[in-house]
Amino acid sequence: MTQAAAQDWHRLSPRMLLVHPVHEVLRQIPVLIGSLVLGSATGNPVWTLIGIGLIVGYGLARWFTTTYRIGSDDVQLRTGVLQRKVLSVPRNRIRSVSTDARVLHRLLGLTVVQVSTGQEAAGDTSFALDAVPAREVPGLRAVLLAHSLAPAGGDVERAAVPGRVLARWQPAWLRYSPLTFTGLLMIAAAVGVVYQTGVVAALQNSGLARVGAGALEGVGLLGGVVIGALVVLAASVTLSVLQSLLTYANLELRRDAELLHLSHGLLRVREHTFDMRRLRGGTLREPLLVRLFGGARLDAVMTGVAGAGEASQLLPPCPRRTAEAVLVDLIGRQDAVTGALTTHGPAAVRRRWTRAMALPAATAAATAITAATAGVAVWVWPALVLLTVGSVFLAVDRCRSLGHRVGDGWLVTRAGSLARRRDCVAAAGIVGWTVRQTLLQRRAGVATLIAATAAGVKRYEVIDVPADIAWSLAATTSPWVARSSWSRG
Amino acid sequence: MGHARYMHLAEPAHRPSRKAPLVWAIGAAIPWLFAVVAQIVWVAVDGRFAWLHVLAAVGTVAGIAVFVLVVPLWRYRVHRWDVDPTAVYTRSGWLVQERRIAPISRVQTVDTYRGPLDRLFGLANVTVTTASSAGAVRIVALDSDVADRVVAQLTDIAALGAEDAT
Repeated sequence: MTQAAAQDWHRLSPRMLLVHPVHEVLRQIPVLIGSLVLGSATGNPVWTLIGIGLIVGYGLARWFTTTYRIGSDDVQLRTGVLQRKVLSVPRNRIRSVSTDARVLHRLLGLTVVQVSTGQEAAGDTSFALDAVPAREVPGLRAVLLAHSLAPAGGDVERAAVPGRVLARWQPAWLRYSPLTFTGLLMIAAAVGVVYQTGVVAALQNSGLARVGAGALEGVGLLGGVVIGALVVLAASVTLSVLQSLLTYANLELRRDAELLHLSHGLLRVREHTFDMRRLRGGTLREPLLVRLFGGARLDAVMTGVAGAGEASQLLPPCPRRTAEAVLVDLIGRQDAVTGALTTHGPAAVRRRWTRAMALPAATAAATAITAATAGVAVWVWPALVLLTVGSVFLAVDRCRSLGHRVGDGWLVTRAGSLARRRDCVAAAGIVGWTVRQTLLQRRAGVATLIAATAAGVKRYEVIDVPADIAWSLAATTSPWVARSSWSRG
Repeated sequence: MGHARYMHLAEPAHRPSRKAPLVWAIGAAIPWLFAVVAQIVWVAVDGRFAWLHVLAAVGTVAGIAVFVLVVPLWRYRVHRWDVDPTAVYTRSGWLVQERRIAPISRVQTVDTYRGPLDRLFGLANVTVTTASSAGAVRIVALDSDVADRVVAQLTDIAALGAEDAT
């Protein structure tokens, strides 16, 4: 018995004996520097060798101390060189299996397999097999997901359909990526790091700074600002496009009967597998800058998968038609994805305008008071006009976006301008309804209808619908609301 | 859509316990009591700036009037709950009011919570959770025997449902 149980425990790929020491050295750079300093200070290179030896030894030990087991009811992972840890995941709770292969892993034909139950937080409790040979991954994935897929018919269907590609990455998709804030964020992070290390302080009195100051005098302050802005813009566009290329190149979304496979990445290849039976809808996200060029992103609304971020993303910014076609294919409802929406009426429109114009109105009042008492700089007035015009556009766009569509077992709701989203949620996944009214909403005769679900972001809101139709929207979507004993009319 | 066009839900039938406003008022009064004591100490230690003391006192009195007197009564007027064989339905809040309904077939857990004040006055709060973090239904400030009856009723019906509840 113990003999058989011991045999069940597998080791990870022996090739990790090459990867672990390298990763460990990279991770323990402070220790390495410390031992180098100690070695050179004492004039005794043995210290350096001992430091490197310890780090490499620790990396090797990680392989020897990590084992995993796929039991009949659960999968287990034993890890830890000094602190032993056993992680168990019940097999019927496995919701998705994703893989990740960084450059070093790929060179050695290895892949990290990550098992997710949709419940765990980050860090400690994540169940990752780091790493197994890439050719074992399809078999391993089938075994890991077999339990949660068993009721649908098991092995028969897997053998039957070879799979169908829903979407494939095109280089043209890169045209949407300069329009995200990723590049700016990366530049900000880089500048932050540079400041932290004190390079700027060192530059302040150097010859380079004097040359820069001289050049600035040549073009004037305005010229300097314009040139600086152009440089930042160009760098941000380049970085965004590069990042998008590295992350999403070779993206392929494939459907095999009840499974959805997503793989992407140029150097680091990531692969997610979703269980289609947990799909409760989808979200088309259209950030303003992407929408202007006719693009959209697609998120899955799925139980057991986090609603925001990379976990649920099916398509990065791509042509809207592609995103819509894929969503129609997934949920089989053309009308939910592209159908016309019902607007929310004059009260909702009024509230959009009041909110959008509050900031410019307050700013204008403050500016007027300052101008009357202390006086303001000339550029403040055009800036105020710009703010007002921007707010007007925001209000118009928000009014245009706001809408809903119910019936035939689906709830569709759209809202927002800078980050517009159209959520399509299946009634079968909705486990509760809330009608919420603030004091101002009660006075305006509107209400926010909230559908609660275990999938995606958990709450899907229909903002500012007329209060007297809020419950009828809920009842049209979920018949059990109409059948309850409080239903009237 | 058709017939369901102007359908609406009647208000839930039951109010919380009659002791609810008192318990809420006491709960709200405790932190304000600290504010009052702090101000008395302040006056005793440093009596200058009389106008500042008056301002703080007015603020405290207004806060007590709103949160200890008005809000508990307001909440008592709003709060309602009801359970039928298919769903649990509540109304709650004061400035922001919510009506929430959840089908009992999707109920995952039924919890009872009794805080120190609740125990003193024989009250209990029942929380009905579903698979969604946005879908928990809370029935607050029930008399203990009513709460026990609600829990028994809910667990009875919920046990009949055999769905996955997601």
